[in-house]
Amino acid sequence: MGTRDAKTARLMSAGAEIELTINGEKVKATEGRSLYDVLSGMGVIIPAMCYHYTFTPFGSCGMCLVEVEGKKAPVRSCTASVQAGMVVRTETPEMKEAQKKALIKHLSTHPLDCPVCDADGHCELQDFTFQFGIGEVPNVKQKGIPEDTRSTVLDFNMNRCIVCGQCINVCKEVQLIDALTFLKKDGFTIVTAKEDKPLACEFCGDCLAVCPVGAITNKFSKYLYKPWQMKKTQTTCPYCGDGCQLQVETKDNRIVRVTSKLTWKSKWGDRAETAKGHGGICGRGRFGFQMVNSPNRLKLPLMRKDGRLVETPWLDAQDFVAERLTKIKMDHGGQAIAGLISARCTNEDIYLFQKFMRIGMGTNQVDGTARYGHLNVVAALRKAFGTDRIRMMNNAEQVTHADAIFIIGSDITETHPVFNVRVKEALRKYKAKVIVADPITTHIARLATHHLAIKTGSESRLIQGLVKIILDRGLCDETVLQKYPNAVEVLKQAAAGITIETTAEATGIPAERLAEAAEVLAKSERGVVLFEDGITKRKDGYQNVLNLVDLALVCGLFEKDGAGLNALCEENNELGLVDMGGASEFLPGGLEYQNAAARGKFSKEWREEMPDLPSVDLPQILDRARKGEIKALYIVGENPVGTLPASMGAAEALSKIELVIVQDPFLTETGRLAHVVLPATTYAEKEGSFTSMEGKVNPVRMVIEPIGESKPDWEIFSELAWRMGFPLEYGSAKEIHREIAKTIPGYFTTKPEPLTVELSGYLNNGYAKEAPSRYAVKPGHDQATGPAGYPFTLVLGQILYHSGKYSTQAEGLMKIYDKALLQIGPADAERLQLAAGDTVVLTSPADGVGAIEVGIEIQPALPAGLVFFPEHFNTPPVKDLIAAELDPVTRVIYHKRGPVAIMKGAS
Amino acid sequence: MKPGRNLIQKILMLEIVRAMWVVFRHMFGKGITFQYPHVKRTLPDGHRGALGLLKYDDGVERCVGCDLCEAACPSHCIKVVSEQVPDKPLVRYASEFYIDMTKCVFCGFCVEACPVNALGMTKLYEYSTENKRDLYFDKKKLYEVGETYFADAKAYLVAHRQEQADETAIQYRYKFPFTVLTGKKE
Amino acid sequence: MTTDAKQKPVEPAAEHPGVGIPVPNRALPLLRTEKLMLNMGPQHPSTHGVLKVVLDLEGERIIKATPVLGFLHRGVEKLAEDGTYHQFIPHTDRLDYVCAMYNNFAYVRAVEKLLDMKVPDRAEYLRTIVAEVQRIIGHLFWLGTQALDIGAMTVFFYTFLEREVLLDFFDSLCGARLTTSWYRIGGVENDLSPRLIEDLYKFLANFSEKLDEYNALLETNRIWLARTKNVAVISAEDAINFGLSGPTLRGSGVDYDLRKYEPYGAYDKVQWEVPVGKNGDTYDRYWIRILELKESAKIVKQCLDQLPAGPYMVEDPRVTLPQKDKVFTNLEHMIRQFKLFTQGFNTPAGEIYCGTEAHKGELGFYIVSDGSGKPYRLKIRAPSFIHMGAFDHMARGYMIADVVTIFGTYDIVMGECDR
Repeated sequence: MGTRDAKTARLMSAGAEIELTINGEKVKATEGRSLYDVLSGMGVIIPAMCYHYTFTPFGSCGMCLVEVEGKKAPVRSCTASVQAGMVVRTETPEMKEAQKKALIKHLSTHPLDCPVCDADGHCELQDFTFQFGIGEVPNVKQKGIPEDTRSTVLDFNMNRCIVCGQCINVCKEVQLIDALTFLKKDGFTIVTAKEDKPLACEFCGDCLAVCPVGAITNKFSKYLYKPWQMKKTQTTCPYCGDGCQLQVETKDNRIVRVTSKLTWKSKWGDRAETAKGHGGICGRGRFGFQMVNSPNRLKLPLMRKDGRLVETPWLDAQDFVAERLTKIKMDHGGQAIAGLISARCTNEDIYLFQKFMRIGMGTNQVDGTARYGHLNVVAALRKAFGTDRIRMMNNAEQVTHADAIFIIGSDITETHPVFNVRVKEALRKYKAKVIVADPITTHIARLATHHLAIKTGSESRLIQGLVKIILDRGLCDETVLQKYPNAVEVLKQAAAGITIETTAEATGIPAERLAEAAEVLAKSERGVVLFEDGITKRKDGYQNVLNLVDLALVCGLFEKDGAGLNALCEENNELGLVDMGGASEFLPGGLEYQNAAARGKFSKEWREEMPDLPSVDLPQILDRARKGEIKALYIVGENPVGTLPASMGAAEALSKIELVIVQDPFLTETGRLAHVVLPATTYAEKEGSFTSMEGKVNPVRMVIEPIGESKPDWEIFSELAWRMGFPLEYGSAKEIHREIAKTIPGYFTTKPEPLTVELSGYLNNGYAKEAPSRYAVKPGHDQATGPAGYPFTLVLGQILYHSGKYSTQAEGLMKIYDKALLQIGPADAERLQLAAGDTVVLTSPADGVGAIEVGIEIQPALPAGLVFFPEHFNTPPVKDLIAAELDPVTRVIYHKRGPVAIMKGAS
Repeated sequence: MKPGRNLIQKILMLEIVRAMWVVFRHMFGKGITFQYPHVKRTLPDGHRGALGLLKYDDGVERCVGCDLCEAACPSHCIKVVSEQVPDKPLVRYASEFYIDMTKCVFCGFCVEACPVNALGMTKLYEYSTENKRDLYFDKKKLYEVGETYFADAKAYLVAHRQEQADETAIQYRYKFPFTVLTGKKE
Repeated sequence: MTTDAKQKPVEPAAEHPGVGIPVPNRALPLLRTEKLMLNMGPQHPSTHGVLKVVLDLEGERIIKATPVLGFLHRGVEKLAEDGTYHQFIPHTDRLDYVCAMYNNFAYVRAVEKLLDMKVPDRAEYLRTIVAEVQRIIGHLFWLGTQALDIGAMTVFFYTFLEREVLLDFFDSLCGARLTTSWYRIGGVENDLSPRLIEDLYKFLANFSEKLDEYNALLETNRIWLARTKNVAVISAEDAINFGLSGPTLRGSGVDYDLRKYEPYGAYDKVQWEVPVGKNGDTYDRYWIRILELKESAKIVKQCLDQLPAGPYMVEDPRVTLPQKDKVFTNLEHMIRQFKLFTQGFNTPAGEIYCGTEAHKGELGFYIVSDGSGKPYRLKIRAPSFIHMGAFDHMARGYMIADVVTIFGTYDIVMGECDR
């Protein structure tokens, strides 16, 4: 196996170096490696249809034949391993003849489907047939198998199948899903979902990507294209923080399908390359493209006339907005104007928006979606690490090579399916120990070596407990002990009240398993902690992150190479939002607004004085709006009415505002309340960049021309600014890009430098005071139980097939999943005597919501006392059941979990 | 054969007389012009005229929307939009088919490319119009041409060895797969 | 027409006090002479398309002639880079649109040379027959228009009569009269049917008679002689130096014909001669073309007699299209059909030049291949274009009226010249 990375070499027992002769050339290779790998590493291309470097050679196609001296029959090079003294020849006429014969075997059962086949032109069988020049194929026999169209997404035409098994292998070995299998049917081997049922899996589409023929096709693009007609544009996925690169294929200004680097064509490579990512994308990225060409897209600005939103020409809408904003600014000053922006916008859009608000409108009332949770991470890690900009400490490759991974508060399979493949790779190939702390038995929890099925809401107790166990058992990292003896001492004293028993009781995990997990983490060489919403978007989210810093500290993760603490981001550009100053407390580059020097720097660069204004965040904006202090609110891509629970009073606040401008590709709940709705483009119609959670700044490229008259966000800001008399003139997103590059040197890179972590500032100043307060066990601290009468915890969360509300506009994703159903564990369902298809009535302590009736789905993974509702759907308005709370430090709005009571519904 | 230059020839203008005699003889030859449009020339079978889309004898459209004609066209005048027949799963057809006759170079490559012989060239050449947009033939118009001049198109295919002349010869017709859901063949 | 305004004779202003307008003196004792610049074309009927020549004249005599090209430029060479090798064939029809077949021939020969491909015997004969028929058409067309330009209208009618017969022959052969696209890389599109062979024999039987008629009209005609003899003379050395080819070169006495000295097709299997002129004037070039018509007829006749049986298309699965009925039934052929039309065949990387003796001169295709299915660069050496380089040299000292003769003597077609 390939051992390119030094770390891998340490990890994997490298075989002995041997020498063999290939085509007369002496070659060195590691013993036990696949001959095919060695050959392709030399640049020799041998036809192979079942081989892909991401999984173990399978050897079904019989094409990769080579001549090995001493063997009579041709040898399949993929399954053969190299041996010392081997003499291999590849280009002999006998081999060509043998390969030709193997090919004819495949051809003889293949139907004459080229005219209707979607793979025609991107088909390995076609390529080789053409290359070999076969001529007549004897003994043709057709399979006549009906096409399996039962699945929602993929069609299986087994007549075309060449039984290479790539789909099965990629599913089994890369995705660890194992949804597909071979089946003997009517004398032919076919590929089908397990137990010959309709395929219902994660729909990552990797099987579709690696299929070398047209046996697996995609329902959403079926028959709409031929590969040679498509224009391919590489861009960045707009759904999660992974920053996957999509190849968007378009025909006539319409996105027809989305592919990625992973195809059967990308098969040649070293299997160590998998550590650099298998190049695949998830179901959201692959099948969520219809949102761009959705009929629901806004094509013209809408303006409220006689209480109704009517389509208006751009000029009128722009004039109206410019005039009203100018007037409000003149009459009431900048403090009457506020702005909200979404983390789905590009860096360029966010940068220009905050500039527009801060120097054009003269206000610092600009905030973004990071307020829903990510700011906890930013605030806590900024404080601990002493850096301005926060990103993951480890890159994806390091996660792949990690020897211990601790995942907490994240159902990584559902939220970051592609990043998840890294964890799976670490599990499968590098034999990493994976600890998943989650009350829900998620997919990754089932795969993990250690699943800590903790009690609902006891995550912070678990973290603190683990810290204590490590300290108690003397597992604390030596370097840390030497470097920060005081801090360790502070921690020891702060956690004095915690013991392994209390932790076991609080979390419901037996003491020995806790100890085992602590030991794995503390003794790891390359331990990686991954955490997300589950601990940041809930009460004490800020403290939880600081607790994790403690855990990482005592495990020495900050000291070891390839180890670290990593926050995952739900939205695609959450990092960019904060880096671009899309939060009221930050200027671009993560500089604090309240810092006069930082403000001075930008005042100079932007040639406009920025006064010392208070940072007004989203909850305050809503408050001020309710009080009538905000006269104009400019909302870009954000949807507070649709996202926040009713208790936040977003709708009421908006109704008090004189001018609500919403800029969005779709008409959202918030848009319906607006006075002007400006049609913005989606990611596919503009240039720009997204910052992934790793800190890579990935380019967003224009895939198609803007739909209707929609415009890129930056263009709208720029034109408005021009109309209002403070020109922010940019000819293209590239110019904004250049300005950002000047303002934040080194920002635009796809290979970010490792995050420098400087803990001494944090640990030496005030840590002694702050840490004990976190460890003090407060009553009701662990939220294990809610108020009396509300025994269930309702969690709003993301599911695999959706991302925010954006993806619900994608027709394909809605076909895959549109179930606005309450997920309930089997134990609870039994107790409440519920069966699938029943409805339940939910009540909660939140004010003025009443009861909400919702259908249920029994989800075996859920523990008792926990119910889950996908946050993407607003009908029924389950989100309103939660009473929002504010974090006292970071002012993050917690609205993703709360106590509810469940009663069986009428029907 | 070099021209003689003697005096007699010069004086008598013999070469002019010889030429006049040729012209005079031609006066009694058969006329070769004819009165178009009252009389039209007979075009050979292989003549490359306007394109038409063809149907099978039972009225089913031959075209399966494979877009190969679009790829083969040297002047990029063909546009095919294909999709699944709404009520027949797995049957591919061209929902829209355009040939821009103003761009067409009448090379016949599309016919040569078509793997189901859905296109044929007819002897139609009189489709001039006052409105340029009429020359953007859509699917309806193309089937109209194909139906009206089916014999021409068939003769064209035979003349260019795209199809056998006799009906008993193998006539390719793509057989669509059927779905497990209905289990019946289309 | 423009004159040099600076030297306009002007009455001294003093003689017309109070009047601001100078009046030219019409009674100058001496006539002034000056150079005259005249734009001829691009809408001139005898420029065979859209050629413009800027003539510097001294009286009626040409002292300098500058051809201005590009009015018919369509970027054909660039178009070639966009499509497969096969797709470029119809574009070659539109180079020298009078002789599409020969362009096809020259192009496919170039690609075959790049592929190092051997074409079957029958295909070679068929190609030669049709190419020579095309040469007859080309020369007839030339003869008619050249005579028409000089003032003899009748010849035009008679040559077009025969041309019409041959164009109908093309129509039956490939479906089009001018834009033929009949040659294919590796052979030809369709076979000659027995009826067409019979038609050709019939045509050839009468052809020399027809030639005599044309000769009766022109050969010794005094006006024709006056307009062509010693007009546009070019010496053999100059002709070679200017890169002239075809009848234009042979008229100056250079025995150079690619068909003879770098034989292709079936030219080396039949008996024929290369007619060569002496004086290098327009009359010689006319006479060579008349002789070539005879030679062509000879070649066609011999080829038809010798026409071997066999395939008329190479069967190379990686290059040539499969037979259509096999596409319907055989997967390999179906795949070939799709691959060849969507991606084309891959050529070996490299560059080649292949010249072919078209009726105007040497028509060459220079192809640079990067190994993909599309030409990386394709350059066409068009004889009309090269000949225009010698225009100034050949026109100097002659009269304006001779300009049309000189255009004609090259047999210029702007579609090929401008590309």
